[in-house]
Amino acid sequence: MAGLELKDIRKSYGNVEVIKGVDLSIAHGEFVVFVGPSGCGKSTLLRMIAGLEDITGGDIHIGDRLVNDVEPRDRGVAMVFQSYALYPHMTVYDNVGFALKLAKTDKQVRDKKIREVAQVLQMEELLDRKPAQLSGGQRQRVAIGRAIVREPEVFLFDEPLSNLDAALRVDMRMELSRLHADLGATMIYVTHDQVEAMTLADKIVVLDNGIVQQIGSPLELYNRPANLFVAGFIGSPKMNILPVDVLETAENTITIAGTTIEKTTLPCASASIQAGSGLTLGLRPQAFVADPEGVLKGKVELVERLGHETIIRIRLKDETTVTAALVGQSDLEPGDMASLGFKPEEAHLFNASGERI
Amino acid sequence: MNAKLQSLLARALIVILMGVTLLPFLSMFSAALAPSGTYPYGLQWPSDPQWINFVKAFEVANMGQLLLSSTLIVVGVVPVSVLVSTMAGYGLAKLTSDKYKWLYLIFVAGLTLPFEAVITPLYYEVRALGLLNTRFAIILPLIGLYMPFSVYWMRAHFLNVPKDLTEAAQLDGATRWGEFWRVQVPLARPAIMSLSILLFLWTWNQFLLPVVLVRDPMQRTMAGALGAFQGQWGTDVPLLCAGSLMILAPTIILFLLFQRQFVAALMQGAVKG
Repeated sequence: MAGLELKDIRKSYGNVEVIKGVDLSIAHGEFVVFVGPSGCGKSTLLRMIAGLEDITGGDIHIGDRLVNDVEPRDRGVAMVFQSYALYPHMTVYDNVGFALKLAKTDKQVRDKKIREVAQVLQMEELLDRKPAQLSGGQRQRVAIGRAIVREPEVFLFDEPLSNLDAALRVDMRMELSRLHADLGATMIYVTHDQVEAMTLADKIVVLDNGIVQQIGSPLELYNRPANLFVAGFIGSPKMNILPVDVLETAENTITIAGTTIEKTTLPCASASIQAGSGLTLGLRPQAFVADPEGVLKGKVELVERLGHETIIRIRLKDETTVTAALVGQSDLEPGDMASLGFKPEEAHLFNASGERI
Repeated sequence: MNAKLQSLLARALIVILMGVTLLPFLSMFSAALAPSGTYPYGLQWPSDPQWINFVKAFEVANMGQLLLSSTLIVVGVVPVSVLVSTMAGYGLAKLTSDKYKWLYLIFVAGLTLPFEAVITPLYYEVRALGLLNTRFAIILPLIGLYMPFSVYWMRAHFLNVPKDLTEAAQLDGATRWGEFWRVQVPLARPAIMSLSILLFLWTWNQFLLPVVLVRDPMQRTMAGALGAFQGQWGTDVPLLCAGSLMILAPTIILFLLFQRQFVAALMQGAVKG
């Protein structure tokens, strides 16, 4: 097992640069999730680590070894593909044992390892079947088995759960978590699903447009998003974004107001903010409370009652909408006027270029 | 029109079509049973069927020797063509970038070349190689002539194999060669099978090439030998028909044996153009 080090990794297709200098260090045994919208470069980055994609610039180290020009098969990585990529003409047994066979592993050792893996993944009864005779979840298991059996230094997962139905996805997610704990292996996981990222990761790398937006633990990203992109991407329902103006600043506080939000004072330590400048206020739906004295007022458009919380969407007077997740069961109905307040310490402020203040 | 009538009409049409297809065979069969040396009159069951015509034709045309010759030619052509085109198809589909697309275009250009157009230069080339009047004069040109279609066929198959499988094999530790033999070839079995069947048919029924390049009928394919057979027995129509039917027999037997693969091959052609 080994860690991983990426230094100024770049990738271009012709004149188009899709990965624009990624620096990242992954410790041995860490579970790292690359997350971002479609086309942000997360899969490309993973494939560059695997060796399936050439790198245009930078260095990749796996353990102590520079692997830029090392063939995929010699990198000590195993990958689980979104499509599972099982060999259709082979049984599960042969699929799992294929790499060992190519490595000319002794037949008895091979058999033992395959059966061990089958036991770990609870698929012993599937060994004689062909991939076409398996369900999506079973195929996924075989694909993971094929990766485990090689005892790689690094596991790579390319959106492995996206072809499964919702319930199975939750099960497999837990299983992956357990597997990571059992194997203690370094795992890199690509997804566009932020719930997967939040639940699985030790460390999340948020990518957009080929640039790392933020690296941190799930809660760091949630509590202190580095910029508006991360703020909007992490958390569900999405963070509400409102333009505000700075009315006055004091030591450790600023007072703001906007067209839709009444005057309110927030804690803020930044000395660089001038009164009169424009900022962006980010409020997570969970930060809101129903408060008759609240600073946000609007008409309720939509009510979703989930039992433990009530999600409401209200339309403010400038026609923008705000989503709030109120704790417990609310008796608000569509058409009602709602007044919302929020805890000042849960407000996020961003400057004109979208960076966190 | 109600559904029952429609289905009845469809069946009737199929039966008519079947009749049209079978008619030449039936007419040949009835002619083959007419007395040797006579001129049979279309589709007419002879009053005294001469089954002995088949035996005569077999002996006169030296059918045993012809069968062996045809088999030798097929064995020389089909495996080599399939092997080479499978490797080329894989290479063109999976190993080359757009930069080398022209390589494939050369093969496609070969598809537009009419067979008859190259027969004269081929004659001189084969003569220069000193292969005239040997079976190699048929085998080597046929391998070459089949390449454009075969490569096109196999490339189309390999293009449809997901890239993930190649990558998974690479990560599993397979070399390109290992991936080709252990993953790609087993997956290409249906395509290889249908290509083999088509090449067999075309080789077996090869007429022009053997007639031009090989003088000895015993070195030709069965269908090619038919030419000499016709020259010798031009007047004996019943014998010629009996001989033709016997030449047809192996392909019909093969068709019955591999009916499913035949249909699959034709369907594949329909989809992949």
